[in-house]
Amino acid sequence: MDEAGAQGIADKGAREVTTRGCCPPSGLLLSAGARRRQRFFHFLGQGFLFGVASVSAIAVFFIFIFIVRDALPFCTWARLRDFFTSTRWYPSGSPPEFGALAIMYGSMMVTVGAVVVAVPLGIAAAVCLSDVLPFSLRQVVKPVIEILAAIPSVAYGFFALVVFAPLLQDHGGRVLAILVWLFGVPVGALAVLVASDMLSRRLTSGGERRGQGLIAAALATVVVIALVWLSRRAATIQIDSGTNALNVSLILGIMALPTIVSVSEDALQAAGSELREGSYALGATRAETILNVVIPAASGGISAAIILGFMRAIGETMVVWMASGNAAQLPRPLYNYLMPVRTLTATIAGDMGEADHVTGSERYHVLFVMALVLLLISFACNSFSEWIIWRRRKRLGV
Amino acid sequence: MHLRTRHVLNRAFTGLGYVATSIMAGALLVLLVPIFVRGAGAIVFRGTVEFRRYLFEQEGRGDREAVHNEIAHARAARAPVYAMLAEAEKEIATAPLTRQRELRSALAELRDAIRELLGPDPGQRTPVLLRQQYGQTRWDRALVKLHEVLYTETWDYSDPSGMGRKVYVPRAEAFTGLGVTALFPYVETHLSAMLRPRLTLYWGFLTDDSRDAHFFGGIMPELLGTFYLTVGAMLIAIPLGVLTAIYLAEYAGDNMAVRFLRSCMSTLAGVPSIVFGLFGLAFFINTLHVSHSKSVLAGSLTLALLVLPTVIRASEEAIRAVPHTYREAALSLGASTWRTVCTVVLPAALPGILTGIVISMGRAAGETAPIIFTAAVSVGVPLKLWEVFNHPTPALSWNIYNVSTEHEAVDEIRHVQFGMVCVLVGLVLLLNLTAIMLRARIARKLKG
Repeated sequence: MDEAGAQGIADKGAREVTTRGCCPPSGLLLSAGARRRQRFFHFLGQGFLFGVASVSAIAVFFIFIFIVRDALPFCTWARLRDFFTSTRWYPSGSPPEFGALAIMYGSMMVTVGAVVVAVPLGIAAAVCLSDVLPFSLRQVVKPVIEILAAIPSVAYGFFALVVFAPLLQDHGGRVLAILVWLFGVPVGALAVLVASDMLSRRLTSGGERRGQGLIAAALATVVVIALVWLSRRAATIQIDSGTNALNVSLILGIMALPTIVSVSEDALQAAGSELREGSYALGATRAETILNVVIPAASGGISAAIILGFMRAIGETMVVWMASGNAAQLPRPLYNYLMPVRTLTATIAGDMGEADHVTGSERYHVLFVMALVLLLISFACNSFSEWIIWRRRKRLGV
Repeated sequence: MHLRTRHVLNRAFTGLGYVATSIMAGALLVLLVPIFVRGAGAIVFRGTVEFRRYLFEQEGRGDREAVHNEIAHARAARAPVYAMLAEAEKEIATAPLTRQRELRSALAELRDAIRELLGPDPGQRTPVLLRQQYGQTRWDRALVKLHEVLYTETWDYSDPSGMGRKVYVPRAEAFTGLGVTALFPYVETHLSAMLRPRLTLYWGFLTDDSRDAHFFGGIMPELLGTFYLTVGAMLIAIPLGVLTAIYLAEYAGDNMAVRFLRSCMSTLAGVPSIVFGLFGLAFFINTLHVSHSKSVLAGSLTLALLVLPTVIRASEEAIRAVPHTYREAALSLGASTWRTVCTVVLPAALPGILTGIVISMGRAAGETAPIIFTAAVSVGVPLKLWEVFNHPTPALSWNIYNVSTEHEAVDEIRHVQFGMVCVLVGLVLLLNLTAIMLRARIARKLKG
């Protein structure tokens, strides 16, 4: 029926054109009135579309306005100073104390942990996807990344809480020892190889094979001893609570992976094949080409990827709420990832239920201050990554 | 550096890439396997006679004769247990006074443990709580409860430097010298006669209401709530998103206003989901008053804003991917831009747009943080369609959080938690597989 209507309008337009025209060439032109009308409708339609398109801009403004509006009642200098410098978070005490330093530190801690997990893995996987894997395998890996990105955060949180946390709590030492071996062996082997090569160059002027072999054997012994010592140390560690910063960092790292992989893969692909071919022609291996030529060329996109991964981790709510332990305290010592922490997002989610949001208590408004902090961080990160991409585009002259 | 070393390093670099990729795939497996394996346990499990009694009495399902028959058999097998307990009562009365008190409390504990396992004692008044009216409905839970009947749990603090250690002491030790010690081996050996486990396929998990805070029943209210929220969000986000994409791809030039719009969209995409939740509360509920308090409508509106950037980006890409020759052909036939878009570009871009929509749907279904303050409640009945404007709803994502952290007996209902996660993840995966397949079809079509 819609189509029929459209057809009718089109017919009318056609008739108008043919009847009003007096001679054949002008029969193809519209009359002044019709043209005006058409231009008017065109203008109107475009205005309407622009209006629809600006909904997301309006939404961004409203988000800022309403978060700020509800954050303002909390903002006196004394309270803000406490908020940013004190670690005492007792919102239901009398008088209540709103020191969010420990909470912000917790947020930073799990986010940094997630980035440390996700960035090396993500960039290595992106390199693998763009330069190493054959096309057919790439078609298999891409859906894996997509699915990893699509799994709801609450499912990750549930996994962290119900499967991973008990594992850490009961066999924490063993898990850590296994991790030490898993990462120590390849890293140690590479380090031995490079160091022995360098040293043999330095010591035996010519770099003989035998000299290198001896040095490598000596270094390897040292590395193995160090690994054994480290894993022994790790195996004795008793994790008191499986819901801690380490657990959350690992899971958040996995969650941030897809973002980092896909954005940095795009950047690596965009670096183009001329660069690679130039480097190969100079005799570089693939590893050298990628590390010395492609990655520097794609550094803008890769840093954008890291920032986006960071944003994903810092804004994540459910995983940290369920599995971080929610203890509003600074871990002791400060770098102790085995202590429970609490983050901004988890505090907002957890405290809003108890905050009396109808009358708008202090406690309600302090959560909006936290949301504002999160919003500003993500806004800054977003602007920064946009700026990086914009700069690259400008430099390339696209 | 030696050429050999360089080659080894090159190999190692390639290996690193493979390792990183396989860690990703491994992470996916490690995540999905327990969720699906244990999630399936919510639907396929060994149900006991108590489960069939529950189904028959509460839901009116099952064959009356068969259920009654089975209950009678189970009662017969249980009778000696209660007889031994009654015997123990008498024995304690004759025991030395110094021991009586200790024995009495031990017996009371034993009775409680047995009640947990088998349900209320015969002749006892029907308890108020549904969970106390029935014994263990699942065989795996029954085995756990059997362990609680056989052993008591105490803490060993003998090592002053370490933390207390959990030790299990056989409950029989408390009753040495009494006839009731024979109860423990009897319960252990006759448990399957008392509970009569049988492999059960319980599709009702998907279609039943939950009863007594998820101790019994299914997840229908949550499923329906997730459905309403997702569909509502998409109903709002699709028109907005597709029209915006049409504007950006077909009409907008490269001027300040458009560039500003684009950067707003990427800002919107970067806003943390919990901030969307607070915004929904402050704007839709406290300012616009779209509903008196939490409602599906407010949740859908919030979710729509959340997925809007995804829908826009996917649709714009799909529209831009339509070859220019299509447009030129249509324009050369005298069609206006709008007509070209509606009759030529959109149909050609439809699969791509659908892909984006399906992925956004998955995102909307799985998000929890935005609906915490705007739509979700932990307990509820399935909503009627007209109630969505002013009623909050339970939703899968929120209830996963709720039953696995805030529920009063988290350990007792693991199967429900895994079942919910499994259903949600399955739903999202299904949507994403649809998207992947759609995309493969587009790729094949483009190839020729």
